[in-house]
Amino acid sequence: MATQETQLLDEIIATSRRKMLSLGVSSLAGFAVGASALQAKAATAAYTDADILNFALNLEYLEANFYYLAAFGTTINTANAASTAAGAPLITLSGTVGTSGTVSGGSQVPFTTIPVASYAIETAVEEGKHVQLLLTALGSSAVAQPAINLGTSFQTLATAAQIPGGASFSPYASDETFLVGAYVFEDVGVTAYHGAASLLTVPANLVTAAGILAVEAYHAGLIRTTINYLDPTGATIGGYTNLISKLRASLSQAGLLGVTPSAFDSNPDDFGLATFSVSLGGDASTTSTRITDADATNVVAFARNTTQVLNIVTGGGAVNGTTAVSPALGVFFPAGMNAGPNGFK
Amino acid sequence: MANLSTLINSGVSRRKFLSGVGASAGAVAALGVAGCGGGSSSTPTSPSAPSAAVTDADILNFALNLEYLEASYYLYAATGSGLDASDTTAGSASTNTGVGTVIPGDAAAVPGLTAAQQQILNEIAYEEQAHVRFLRSALGPAAVPMPDIDLSFFGPLAVAAMITTAATGTGSFNPFSSFDYFLVGAFIFEDVGVTAYSGAAPLISAAGVAAGYLTAAAGILAVEAYHAGYVRTSLTGRAIAAGSASAYPYLGAANLVEDLRATLTVGDSAAPSTTGSVETLLTLPTSLTTPSSIVAASAANAVGFSRTVNQVLHVVYGSSTVGASGGGFFPKGINSPLATTTA
Repeated sequence: MATQETQLLDEIIATSRRKMLSLGVSSLAGFAVGASALQAKAATAAYTDADILNFALNLEYLEANFYYLAAFGTTINTANAASTAAGAPLITLSGTVGTSGTVSGGSQVPFTTIPVASYAIETAVEEGKHVQLLLTALGSSAVAQPAINLGTSFQTLATAAQIPGGASFSPYASDETFLVGAYVFEDVGVTAYHGAASLLTVPANLVTAAGILAVEAYHAGLIRTTINYLDPTGATIGGYTNLISKLRASLSQAGLLGVTPSAFDSNPDDFGLATFSVSLGGDASTTSTRITDADATNVVAFARNTTQVLNIVTGGGAVNGTTAVSPALGVFFPAGMNAGPNGFK
Repeated sequence: MANLSTLINSGVSRRKFLSGVGASAGAVAALGVAGCGGGSSSTPTSPSAPSAAVTDADILNFALNLEYLEASYYLYAATGSGLDASDTTAGSASTNTGVGTVIPGDAAAVPGLTAAQQQILNEIAYEEQAHVRFLRSALGPAAVPMPDIDLSFFGPLAVAAMITTAATGTGSFNPFSSFDYFLVGAFIFEDVGVTAYSGAAPLISAAGVAAGYLTAAAGILAVEAYHAGYVRTSLTGRAIAAGSASAYPYLGAANLVEDLRATLTVGDSAAPSTTGSVETLLTLPTSLTTPSSIVAASAANAVGFSRTVNQVLHVVYGSSTVGASGGGFFPKGINSPLATTTA
């Protein structure tokens, strides 16, 4: 399925690999990489906390609609019996900044196991509350819900990630494919809130963002733990996590626009569930799982700037060579995100 | 629960009553000042003198004390021994010079693990060890040494939580005795780690933010939440598999731990955590239409909880006493000018 997006993805992966050859391996040591990656963004514009929170709101629109559709078979602004019974907030789409769009694709997953079904419901409710929180906090500054593609977008990404049968992949088909779909989002949410935390100027906003960051990481831990239980050897969905993480790392590296790139294959900013070797105390090395998505040395979770995040959720739409493209279009956001004049899209 | 601190303080574990050490409002005010951007010096304040301002080094060292505890627990559970001695020493400029020891209690490699379970223990142990090393590296000469750590405190803690009535020996709570008990032991720490980093992050100075301390703290916060997500997902999933709360008592035990932590989270009523709650009890989903309760967050807006430094100390000291400078997991207190509970 050689769509425009997948061609774009292939180009980006190729470009990123070429970069790796010409650039040294820069250290991922937490303090420095976090700061430099953020400074790269901080130098560009006079944005406000509202711009950062609106960026988060676009991502929460995406996540919440995905989980509402999977758990209840409806979008966040239309209640049904399932969403009402679960106590999921019914969202009034009160945001007005930008162009409002519709949500396409998605359907209720025919769950067969209680753990996965109950996790889906819990996560839907929590992401709905995040949308509500941000809409309330932003008030008249809130962005409208943009057009969101939750159907063919997954096939585009699955194909680009080289997941077997990716061209027909649906996260709504089974408990297992739902987990893979959720996997696509959660670690990205962690890195996005992490990257944004240092940009916020109002202390109360920072406290709230840190709290949401924690929740996204709980979700990510939940998803990764469950996939690891279901496929501990990585033969199927566990293996897919590695493919998805590799794709995200490629797109993320491209989003750095050559500012502080690190060698992709030896220094990715994303890890799937493959096991790795560790040394404990004074002991020889032993085998470890990788529930946590963090750098291997310091075990500090990764942060991504807005261009990196945009490039992931648009499947490469935010970057053309070493130039940022705005608005970034593609995959989950076919018409781009919504943002204020100095915002991120 | 009213007799909680009495229960803990009269338990077999070593404990420390602090009488009359000024529970100074001044220290609380100092936190406020730092929160507004003051105190960017990297020189740690002398622990013997009341601190004038909380420095970024104080915040990182506070976190380091907690990581020493977590790493010790997980390393013992995974391997049967604790941190390498080289990971416990004092930085050259630290005013705390003595390296503490671990009172192991029942600490031992958890028996009967499957290969997959062993790999999980290895992961969390490695990651907490990495946090110790990372913070020590970031602090450099200012790094405090490992304080005394009492891993025999799980017994009295479980009695205070009303999980069991025996503090030691037969019938006591031993997190090193099986994978499920290990999960409950891990549960004691992880949500607290999340809230501690969440509460401490806003205290980092503007200079510290520029130096990348805030993003590092946020990154460690996320890792603690991954761990908490793992532990809570495992407890919930194993309870679902067992079929009922009575068939899997560990879920109930974890919730008793939450009750205890909530009771110990005292002082600082204007703390970032809202509506008086800092815990989300685990539930046992019984159908395809009931939600789980993996995430610990506000029921109103799904924002994770925060605890102040003072509140975290109450939890890890196992004491609601104001002016306590040690107890519980830290029999002689943490190595920090912030070691005394202030409210």
